[in-house]
Amino acid sequence: MNRDTMTETSLPVQVLGKFLKWLVLSLYLVITIFPIVWLALSAFKTNFEIETAPFSFPAVWQFQNFVSAISVSGLHQYFLNSIIVAVFATLVNLLVTSLASFTIAREEFPFRKVFFTVTTAGVLIPIIAFMVPYYTLITRFNLYDSLLALIVTYSAINIPISMFLISSFMTSIPRELEDSAEIDGCSFFQRYAKIIMPLARPGLVTAGTFSFIYCWNEFIYALLLTSSRSARTVQLAIRFFTSQFRTDYAGMYAAIVLTMIPTVVVYVFLHDKIISGLTAGAVKG
Amino acid sequence: MKKLTKKTNRNLKWIIIFLIPVTVLLIAFFVYPIVYLAFLGFMEWDGISAMSFVGISNYTRTFGDSVFQTSIKNNLIWALSAAFLQIPLALVIALILAREPRGWRFLRTVYFLPNVISLVALAMLWRAMYNPEFGAVNFFLSQLGLEHMTRNWLGELDTALPAVIFSYQVYIGYFMVIILAGTMSIPKTFYEAAMIDGANILQQERYITLPAIRGIIVTAGTLAVAFALRQFETTFLMTAGGPANRTPVMGLYMYRRMAGLRYGQAAATGVLLILLGVVVLSGMQRIFGKSDAIEDAHQ
Repeated sequence: MNRDTMTETSLPVQVLGKFLKWLVLSLYLVITIFPIVWLALSAFKTNFEIETAPFSFPAVWQFQNFVSAISVSGLHQYFLNSIIVAVFATLVNLLVTSLASFTIAREEFPFRKVFFTVTTAGVLIPIIAFMVPYYTLITRFNLYDSLLALIVTYSAINIPISMFLISSFMTSIPRELEDSAEIDGCSFFQRYAKIIMPLARPGLVTAGTFSFIYCWNEFIYALLLTSSRSARTVQLAIRFFTSQFRTDYAGMYAAIVLTMIPTVVVYVFLHDKIISGLTAGAVKG
Repeated sequence: MKKLTKKTNRNLKWIIIFLIPVTVLLIAFFVYPIVYLAFLGFMEWDGISAMSFVGISNYTRTFGDSVFQTSIKNNLIWALSAAFLQIPLALVIALILAREPRGWRFLRTVYFLPNVISLVALAMLWRAMYNPEFGAVNFFLSQLGLEHMTRNWLGELDTALPAVIFSYQVYIGYFMVIILAGTMSIPKTFYEAAMIDGANILQQERYITLPAIRGIIVTAGTLAVAFALRQFETTFLMTAGGPANRTPVMGLYMYRRMAGLRYGQAAATGVLLILLGVVVLSGMQRIFGKSDAIEDAHQ
């Protein structure tokens, strides 16, 4: 058998296949990237340019769009709120889920599997269905319109995904290290804090990244559980520009670009972690 | 043996302590909400005055409301297009990338990028894309000589819902990445053997790849449908349910009942949304078989 009979496809068919492949890949690249680039360019234009010359480069790059977007909407305040909420919600979430994941991944106890399955099944629950309960819960604890309301809510909402990521990572850590540490008199807590947590860092980084991005981008519960500038987050600030009687496109696009920066930067640096975290559960063996 | 039981007993105290924080949060934010929704669904409550028991009238009123009927129908359209448009698109891209063409890592990274951008930003971005005066969609159509197809995409009755759904489901990042990883974990020797037997690329995908990643496709489909059912932002920000109540989804319907201080009816809608999720997802499991992911992660 020679090489020619190994593949039945003739040369024209191969060329066509190659063409189709690159057509699909580049078309999809355009669909994914063009809207974002277009919006980013528009953020440097005047409103007049956006409406009359939407596809040209800015005649003069309007850097002051960004300055006025901040001063008009008070974006810096929303930014600060978002940072506080995302950082603390992520820390709380990692703390509680790493404690629970440690027991699930490293210990035997009754209902261990059930606990894990029930917890991670939360990924599939439509969280928006909880609008009324979350609202009444938060108001009952006098947390309405506070950063704490969002911190607690977000850290809880992210439990299923974090448990899933962290406990699958902790499960993969070899047993031997811990056994020898235990013989050396390591306590339960020390095994968690001194041995497993440092080794589980990649898993924690992945879960933390997911949590941070979620918190930064969350909209519904920020809308529902806060009402004033002191507690609202960046995603709500974007709407500020359309709530005027006329949409200030230039200001809004500038604000959107600014709000996208943190998650895009996180993604640029940690995309390998994000992608490997996503695939951790999907691939068997 | 005695030592072992002693050890587990000693650890059990610690295990319980370690599980308490997660359990408290799960009860407050997952268990209590479900119980509370089920309870409140039978009540009439404006959020201020005392509740009163009204039986199933919240449910009958909700089902009788034509806007709700549209909402549940729209949710199902969202779910169907997630399963039959979004996932196939993700599958095609993943299968192409799995053969590691030049730059596939870069493409994977770029294709996933929109998934880290907020739905608010994406909704605003697509409102610009669909804008009848300066939007890019109409511009491209007229550049291609398809002027007759240009329209006010979000403003017209027939195109609003497809336009909203497209703007969300065009982003396949999650599903593409999951399917891609599954495909790439198939041993290369399978393909080499098939090539020697004279199987072309399409035959290889059909008889090697697809059977091997079936479970992962189901996982991706389950997630895609679950995401489609929890839709809110995209619709809320792009059309707010309009034009003429063509585009609402159940999340938006619930939000409006809540804003109108009809907490009982909002709760009933929440119950129905959860039930719809259970029915659709378990139905999928029956038809397509079990999903690979969640149970197996823990082996």
